[in-house]
Amino acid sequence: MKATYINPIFIAAREVFRNMFSIELERGDLRVDEKIVPNHVINVSIGITGDLNGIILFSFPEEMVFKLVEEMAGMEFKEFDTFMASAIGELANIITGNAMSNLSESGYACNIVPPQITVGLNKSFSTASKKILIIPMQAGNKSFDLYISIKE
Amino acid sequence: MIWKEKYAIGVEVIDRQHKELFERFNKFLRVVRSEQSMEEKIADIEETFNFMGEYVIAHFDSEEAVQRKYNFPEYERHRKIHEDFKKDVMEFKRKFEENKYDEELIMQFSGRLLTWLINHVTGEDQKISKYINRKEEE
Ligand SMILES: [Fe+2]
Repeated sequence: MKATYINPIFIAAREVFRNMFSIELERGDLRVDEKIVPNHVINVSIGITGDLNGIILFSFPEEMVFKLVEEMAGMEFKEFDTFMASAIGELANIITGNAMSNLSESGYACNIVPPQITVGLNKSFSTASKKILIIPMQAGNKSFDLYISIKE
Repeated sequence: MIWKEKYAIGVEVIDRQHKELFERFNKFLRVVRSEQSMEEKIADIEETFNFMGEYVIAHFDSEEAVQRKYNFPEYERHRKIHEDFKKDVMEFKRKFEENKYDEELIMQFSGRLLTWLINHVTGEDQKISKYINRKEEE
């Protein structure tokens, strides 16, 4: 697990949040763990195949997902449903896709697998690497986490 | 989905079309998200979906024409994004025709479409704007 993956992923996330929501993402201190135990309820995992293998998992608090989707849709939602899951899944999909095209400039050719959304705490996720990198992200007054488990 | 002035790319015809596209998508979204039963809203879903779908295709054509006019260097890449999107919409349409009462399918598609459209307009389409502005400064 190399730290060289981190920046292209962060840059992709920062650009998408800036363009779509006018939010300036800030990166917290990196953490390392041996498994993925998400801190938040709504988790979107995206598989990566090709020169790199593994997953990137976006762990969002429910409140943040409501805020983002409601802002995009311009309407209010009562509960987390398929529509919301699909909208937030696409957001993670776009960020990961952009991250992979950033990484292709460093010579890694990868594809991504469509997002899988899980709701709830205490879910487990299978990982590709022994070490998981966790990037805490500050998005205005909200925060979410990125879990990166990738090997070459 | 609300149009914001900051989404404008500065090419009048495109901005006008983007606004129209947002309006049409909104009509579709309001029907999809209404609390009516599928039986009650299915005809409206079909109508607003077709109304939006036709417009997307016409809009992509004129956006691509603008890119050619300005020799936009990422033209091929952008055209491919449009083509992939059209395929995606056709794929949805095919599944939808098979079972018009599959609410999960409609929710899944429209949620993804919402994020896709906003990202496309604020990301890819803004690149056209930046390129044209740079070119005009020269
Ligand atoms: Fe476009």
